[in-house]
Amino acid sequence: MSCIRSLVAVSLIASVGFSTAVTAQEMISDTTARKQPLTTWGVQFEEFEYRYSDDDEELGVWNADAFYGTDDFKVRLLTTGEYEIEEQAYETLENQLVGQIPISKFFDAKAGVRFDTPEGPDRTYAVLGVAGLAPQWFEVDANLYVSDEGETSAELDAEYELLLTNYWILAATLDATVAFSEDREIGVGKGLVSTEAGLRLRYDLVDRAFSPYVGVVHEQKYGDTADFAETGGGSTEDWFAVIGARIAF
Amino acid sequence: MKPRFLTGLLSLLMPAMVLAGEYDLTVDRVKIDTGDFVKEGIGYNGASPGPVMRFKEGETVRINVTNNLDEMTSIHWHGLILPFNQDGVPGISFPGIKPGETFTYEFPIQQAGTYWFHSHSGFQEPDGAYGAIVIEPEGREPFRYDREYVVQLTDKHPHSGDRIMRNLKMMPDYYNREQQTVGEFFSDVSENGLMNTVRDRMAWGDMRMMKADVEDVHGFTGLINGKGPDQNWTGLFEPGERIRLRFINSSAMTYFDIRIPGLDMTVVQADGNNVQPVSVDEFRIGVAETYDVIVRPKDEQAYTIFAESMGRSGYARATLAPEKGMEAAVPQLREPARLTMADMGGMPGMDHGSMAGMDHGGMDMGSSEDMSGMDHSSMEGMDHSNMDSMDHSNMEGMDHGSMTMGKEDKSDPFYAKGSGLMPKAANGGKFLSYADLKAQDPLYEDREPTREIELRLTGNMERYTWSINGVKYEDADPIRLKYGERVRFKFVNETMMTHPMHLHGMWSILDVGAGQWNPIKHTINVNPGTTVYMETEVDEPGQWAFHCHLSYHAAAGMFRKVIVEGGPDSTQAKTDAIAEDGGEV
Amino acid sequence: MNASKLFVAGMALSMSATAFAAGAHDGGHGHGATSGEPGKASEASRTITVEMYDNYYEPEEISVKPGETVRFVVENKGNLVHEFSVGTPDMHEAHQEEMMMMVEHGVIQGGKLNHDMMNMDMGNGHSMKHDDPNSVLLEPGQSKEVVWKFSDKGNIEFACNVPGHYQAGMYGEVNFE
Repeated sequence: MSCIRSLVAVSLIASVGFSTAVTAQEMISDTTARKQPLTTWGVQFEEFEYRYSDDDEELGVWNADAFYGTDDFKVRLLTTGEYEIEEQAYETLENQLVGQIPISKFFDAKAGVRFDTPEGPDRTYAVLGVAGLAPQWFEVDANLYVSDEGETSAELDAEYELLLTNYWILAATLDATVAFSEDREIGVGKGLVSTEAGLRLRYDLVDRAFSPYVGVVHEQKYGDTADFAETGGGSTEDWFAVIGARIAF
Repeated sequence: MKPRFLTGLLSLLMPAMVLAGEYDLTVDRVKIDTGDFVKEGIGYNGASPGPVMRFKEGETVRINVTNNLDEMTSIHWHGLILPFNQDGVPGISFPGIKPGETFTYEFPIQQAGTYWFHSHSGFQEPDGAYGAIVIEPEGREPFRYDREYVVQLTDKHPHSGDRIMRNLKMMPDYYNREQQTVGEFFSDVSENGLMNTVRDRMAWGDMRMMKADVEDVHGFTGLINGKGPDQNWTGLFEPGERIRLRFINSSAMTYFDIRIPGLDMTVVQADGNNVQPVSVDEFRIGVAETYDVIVRPKDEQAYTIFAESMGRSGYARATLAPEKGMEAAVPQLREPARLTMADMGGMPGMDHGSMAGMDHGGMDMGSSEDMSGMDHSSMEGMDHSNMDSMDHSNMEGMDHGSMTMGKEDKSDPFYAKGSGLMPKAANGGKFLSYADLKAQDPLYEDREPTREIELRLTGNMERYTWSINGVKYEDADPIRLKYGERVRFKFVNETMMTHPMHLHGMWSILDVGAGQWNPIKHTINVNPGTTVYMETEVDEPGQWAFHCHLSYHAAAGMFRKVIVEGGPDSTQAKTDAIAEDGGEV
Repeated sequence: MNASKLFVAGMALSMSATAFAAGAHDGGHGHGATSGEPGKASEASRTITVEMYDNYYEPEEISVKPGETVRFVVENKGNLVHEFSVGTPDMHEAHQEEMMMMVEHGVIQGGKLNHDMMNMDMGNGHSMKHDDPNSVLLEPGQSKEVVWKFSDKGNIEFACNVPGHYQAGMYGEVNFE
């Protein structure tokens, strides 16, 4: 940010007010940073954690986003990954690049693309979403996806934070995916696909920049998706103990 | 008599030389040690705060400002009446001062009192670029004191201004560590019952507003004259002396409630202008305001100057003592403030039932009306605890200052009735209200304003956007005033934050309902859920800044350019033709 | 109405009490706690003119001899109501509370006095007239006299006890030669 500001400040040097031959007092026009839309950025790892499942599966997981832009338009990069430590393979690897504009007091609309490049077949999706703050302080993020195979699905994320104190915070998350059509190749059946529910107790150690946490995560697959997983020798329900940190800078 | 005559003669011959004071300021990178942390910042003449600039009314000052930074800078002389191109706002008064450059300000000093100066570039001011101005009057002061001290407050934060702004944009509650917790829920349940507490939380959750949203930025160390609470700035006195304390709030974001346990403070000046003296136990100083008080410690003991932040997230502390090293007890911080639904009263489209139709800031109580018509009998034995049911709209024509209520009723008409920010003196005594401020010697004739301009103070905490009439500075057209008119500004605060509104270059005549005795200020607090009026005699040509003085609100867009069209002579009248705003870039 | 009358009457009583104290003793706070007594104009050795401004006196210091009677001509040249009251600092402090009540009851209103309120008969012969011999209360432009005998040396000031004025420095020292 400071470099942005000084860049604009430099542009100010170039600007000279209107030369007003008539008057002694010159009226200049404001071309300073203040008169420009405020550009800002941020990087946040909502989750950066190690997961250990009830069947001794070990995962490294992150869920992060970075943005750059103004109040009126932001570019946002969202990234989620689940890395299976023993098999040295990505169970999940999603990267999204979206543009984001405000549509109401508390909500933004997003549009962009999502690239899934885990172990196995890749997918590219078009993304249309809404994210914001719902009444009673629920952070919600709802997205509609259309894959390059023509399959459509939807995902809803919700998060609620309970302040035990102003530093000990219990965060509850729920993530549900619904497919409107089957994508057998990547193991997705029609209907409710999966849910992931998490409960993490964190402590804000350094401002809100570094907050270590412990927690539990429950993952469940449903319907045809569960059947596909079973057929493939995978599990349909997992419990994880997690340890990690929320990071923002 | 003779020397004066000679001086007069000389000043006629060489006006610039005789009465011109020459001053030098350098703008430097400095280290700021608060006792809690050491932080790189910006200062003047190698220190933050900068020096106390002492001017004399009637002199013309030349101030050479050398920029030793590697970025642009500027100095704004807060509260001084001067030609607009000396006002020091980049993009409005002048282009700014380039790195390595020396800029010479030159302007006549036409006033006296306590003021301050600060950078108007980026976040240099929160980073430490501020100092005090003391102007000695031409004649005598209308009060007496044996010694004086500048008491300049700030809210020094371990983060740089740029970083604070970015964090607020990313997470508006980034710094707020007084939010409501589970523990507070249960204590509220035991106090108000489960259903009431749930209903309360649901009502606030529905608005997505936080009761705890009193101060955007916590985590600062309050400094007085650059010293943290542990470093304990100390002013010395001899028992029995009258001491003039010149309080200046140079904070980026923090309002302070100031008291000196054991001492009455007699407020004699507000924003550099003398007011009719009023003795108080405590007062709240908004960001950018100044208050001069006279205290008279009679005993051979130390007294603590205690400045609690309005939201109680931090404090500044200093000491008055007969000898260096003496200390008095430092009070505990009081409970954090919580907003109430009354503070939300300004939000459009909100149904607050009984609050509808209330015009808190209306306050149009006429001037010092004759009280003879009042039936005092009905006031005796009045139960002040029931004052909430009083209909303020029927109070037209009443002079609040001269009523018993002023003292016994703790409710300040400049706050929404039932406001969570309603100030209370720690010792139960008198807390200064704007309603107590009356000009000592009115500068302007009272006259009807030529027109009214409504400025709604607007914003969205969750996006950390701040604006006027819903429009941020980047998208806004300038406010155009005509030289010679008297404009009545109506501030309607539709946010839940307090905004100290600062108009550059011209006085803000605060309407406290005292007619010709209304005080003149440079910064006007507008509390949440209230409407406040001020009037301005448009007597300075040029273009000026007009903004909320909370650094991060101003930067987020609660800012306007004001263009004064016309001027005292005909050549000036042409300026309006060329006055253009560089909005479209 | 009754409560009000009682209250104001009480106030008037307390004011007379102060006047009495002013004329006689005031409790012996340290040495020189007496401020003197009302004087006779015929005995006045000289006249001192004291001008009132907002909010200070000119002069701010006078010298008297013990036992001297002085005729003060007090002129209010300011824009606000001011008082000229002779007494010890403790007496002024006590009197300030009464003056605060006068402001709260609208008797003193910035630049003017409400004479109706002042003269209101409280039903027992008392009023808020402010007619103690050691002090005068003046509207802008008014001029009044106080004749005072400085019986003994003491810590005596002349002061304006309109709320805030004394604290802001509207007082003058009486020095004994």
